[in-house]
Amino acid sequence: MTLKESPRVSPVTGRPDRSRGRKPARRSGRPGAGTLASFIAPGLVLFLLFVLLPVAFAAYVAFFRWNGLGGIPTEFVGLENFRNMLQDEVFLGDLWRLGLIVVLSLLVQLPLSFGLAMLLHQRFPGRTAFRLLFFVPYVLTEAVTAVLFRLVFSPRRGFADSLLADLGIDAHVGWLSDRNIVMFVIFAILTWKFFGFHMILFLAGRQNIPDELYEAAAIDGATGAQAFRSITLPLMGPTVRMIVFLSVIGTVQLFDLVYVLTGGGPFHASETLAITMYEQGFQRNQIGYASALSIAMFLISLVFALFYQRLVLNRDLQGSITTAGGRS
Amino acid sequence: MRNPLLRPRALVAAGAAAALALSAAACGDSGESDADLTWWHIQNQDPLMSTWQEFADDFAAENDITIDVQAIENQAFKDRMGTASQSGDVPDIFHTWGGGVLAEQVEAGLVQDLTGKLDCIDQINPIALEPYTIDGKLYGMPFDAGVVGFWYNMDLFAEAGISQPPATWDEFLAAVQALKDAGIAPIALAGADRWPGHYYWTYLVMRTVGLDGLEAAAEAGDFSGEGFIQAGEMLADLAAMEPFQPGFESAVYGEADGQSAVMGEGLAAMELMGQWAPQAQRDNSGTDGPENLGFFPFPTVEGGAGTTTEWLGGGNGYAVAADAPDEALDFLCNFMEPENYSRAITEGNLTPVAADTASVAPELNEDTQKVVDALASATGTQLYLDQAYPPAIGGVINEATEGLILGQLTPEDFVAMVNEAWAAEA
Repeated sequence: MTLKESPRVSPVTGRPDRSRGRKPARRSGRPGAGTLASFIAPGLVLFLLFVLLPVAFAAYVAFFRWNGLGGIPTEFVGLENFRNMLQDEVFLGDLWRLGLIVVLSLLVQLPLSFGLAMLLHQRFPGRTAFRLLFFVPYVLTEAVTAVLFRLVFSPRRGFADSLLADLGIDAHVGWLSDRNIVMFVIFAILTWKFFGFHMILFLAGRQNIPDELYEAAAIDGATGAQAFRSITLPLMGPTVRMIVFLSVIGTVQLFDLVYVLTGGGPFHASETLAITMYEQGFQRNQIGYASALSIAMFLISLVFALFYQRLVLNRDLQGSITTAGGRS
Repeated sequence: MRNPLLRPRALVAAGAAAALALSAAACGDSGESDADLTWWHIQNQDPLMSTWQEFADDFAAENDITIDVQAIENQAFKDRMGTASQSGDVPDIFHTWGGGVLAEQVEAGLVQDLTGKLDCIDQINPIALEPYTIDGKLYGMPFDAGVVGFWYNMDLFAEAGISQPPATWDEFLAAVQALKDAGIAPIALAGADRWPGHYYWTYLVMRTVGLDGLEAAAEAGDFSGEGFIQAGEMLADLAAMEPFQPGFESAVYGEADGQSAVMGEGLAAMELMGQWAPQAQRDNSGTDGPENLGFFPFPTVEGGAGTTTEWLGGGNGYAVAADAPDEALDFLCNFMEPENYSRAITEGNLTPVAADTASVAPELNEDTQKVVDALASATGTQLYLDQAYPPAIGGVINEATEGLILGQLTPEDFVAMVNEAWAAEA
C-alpha cells in the first residue's frame, strides 16, 4: 500500500481522514507490563481454562483406568492405555482410513475445487449464481448432510438406487452397507460438502493475482497454458498450501457426518479416530482409554501442524505477503 | 449513520443472535433447565409420546410446578445419558433398563434409593422389580416388562409352506431356507444398531449352556466354554445363509427403512425383538403392521441345557436422580394411578407390570397378551446382556456380535474379546 491513495473517510466523523497522511504519533517506548497484562489476561484465562487445562487433564487421565463416574481417577495403569491402543485393530484401521481420506482429498477433491474456481473466475452470465450454488452444501451442518444422504443411499427407497433404476441399471448397491465401498461413498459426500468452500478460497486466491501479470505475459507471447503454469500456479501457492493444511486437520477431526451416516460401521469399516474415541469414552465409559485416543489425535494434529509450518508454510509466513508493510 | 448497530434491522439481528447464543448456552446437555422437574424418556413416538406429555402437563398443573419433558430416541438417549452421568448431573427422572448400567450410575451416587419411598410399589409385580434392585435396594420403577422372542408374519410363513413355528434350531434353519427359497427375506435385522444382533448370541448361549452356565461364566469372567464357541458357530452359520434383508448392515432399528419398518411393511418374515416390537412396527412403517403377527420362543438347541421357557427379557422403567425433589417420586406413582396406567397400557400397548393385571387392563391387546402369557409361564429370565453387564462389557458383546454376523470375527475371536473385556473390568 502506498500513502498516495485517495483520502479515506473517517468512520467516526464522516469527514476525510487525515491521520494517515501525518507522521504516526508514536509514543516513545513499549507499553508497560501492566497494560500488556490487562489486555492479554482475559484471553489468556479463557485459553488456559478451556483449552490448555482440558488438554492437560486428558493427558493425565490417559494414564488411568477410569469410567468417568464420581470423583477423580485413582487406578493408575501407566502406559497400558497407549499400549492397548497401538495393538487395537480399530485404532490402526482409523489411521489407515485417515490416510485414505487425506490422499483422496489431495488427489481428487482439491484439484476439482481448483478447476471449478478457475472456471468460475472467467466472466460469463450466471457466474454469481454458480458460485452461490456451489457454496450451498458447505452451509449445511454435517449432521443435516448425513441425514440427507442416509435418505439418498437408503437401501429400499433411496434416490441413488432409483436413479440407477431409471437409467436401466437394476443394481442394489450397498452404498453404506458394503464394507468395501462405504469409505468411497463417504469421501464422495465429503467432497460434495466441502468442494464449495475450497472453491471459494481458491477463487479468492486467484482474484488476488493482478491482471497486469497476464497482460505482460500476453505481450511477451505466452500462451494460456504457459501463463497458467508460470503465473497462476506459483502465485496460488500460498492458498493451495493453506487449503491442504485445513483439509488435513479437518480430516483428523472428522466425526459428525460419519457418525450420523453410518456410526462408523459396518463393523468399523468407516470408523474415524473421533468415533472410536466417542464410543470408548461415552458409550462404554472407558474415559482413560478414550483420553489416550484423544491424546493420539492431538499429537497427530500437532506434529503435522508443526512440520507443515516448518517445512511448507515457512515461505508463506516469511514471504512478502504476511509481513508486507509491517517493518518496512 | 455509519454505525451498523444503529440501523434497526441490524439491531434486531444482533439481538436475535445474542438471544440464540444465550439460549444455546442455557440448554446444555446435562439436563439443566429452569423447570422444577426434568424428565428424559425414550417414548419418542406417538401414541405414547403424547400420552406421556399429557401426564406431565396434568401433573404439573395439579402440583403447580413445571416439568421439562425430553423425548429422546433410544440410541441418542444412551449417548446423552452417558455424558450426563459423567458430568454428574442427570435429569430428575430418567429412563432405565436396570442392570449393570444402572448399577454403575448407583455406584457413582447419581441415583436415589427408592426403597420404602414409593407408596405405589405394592401395586407392582415384585418379579418386575428385580432388574432395578441392587444389593437389596430399589433404584427404579418399571412401567412395563416383557420378553424377547420371534415376532413372525404368519402369512409369509404360510407362503413359504411353513405350517408351524420352528421349535428347534435345525427346524429354524430349515424355515429360513424355505423362506429364502420362496423369495422372502427371512429375518429383519438392524445391523448398525448392534443391540438387536446381540439377542441372537445371548439366546443361543442361553440354549447351549443354559442360564446357570451363563451366570457362572459372568461370575468367573470366562466365556471360553464349549457352549459359547458353539453358540458363536451357530450364529455364524445362520449369517452365512444371508437371511437378513438387503442393506441390513447399515440399517438401524427405528427408521423409515429400518428393522421394524421392514417388518411392518411385510418385507421380512420375522424379527427377534422385545414386547415393544408390534407397536414399533406400526410406528416406524406408518402402516397397520402385518395382518397376522405371531410370536414364538427362541428355539431349543439339541443337547443344550436351555429350554424354551427361559426368556431373555427386561422392561422399561424410570430412575430418580439423587438430588431430585420429592415431586419426582409422586410423579412416578402418578403413572401407577389405575386410570393413567390402564390408559398407557391401552394406548401404548405396554406389557403391564401391575400385580393385579386384570384390574388395570381387563382386555389386553392380542400381541401383548402373548408376552404376558410367556412371562407368566417363564421358568427363568435373563436381562439383556448389554444392560445386565457394565457398559464396557455390554459394548464389546454388541460389537463382537456385529463382527460375527458380518463374518469379520470367528467364534474364537468373539470369546477372546469378551474375556479380555471382563479381565479388564475386574
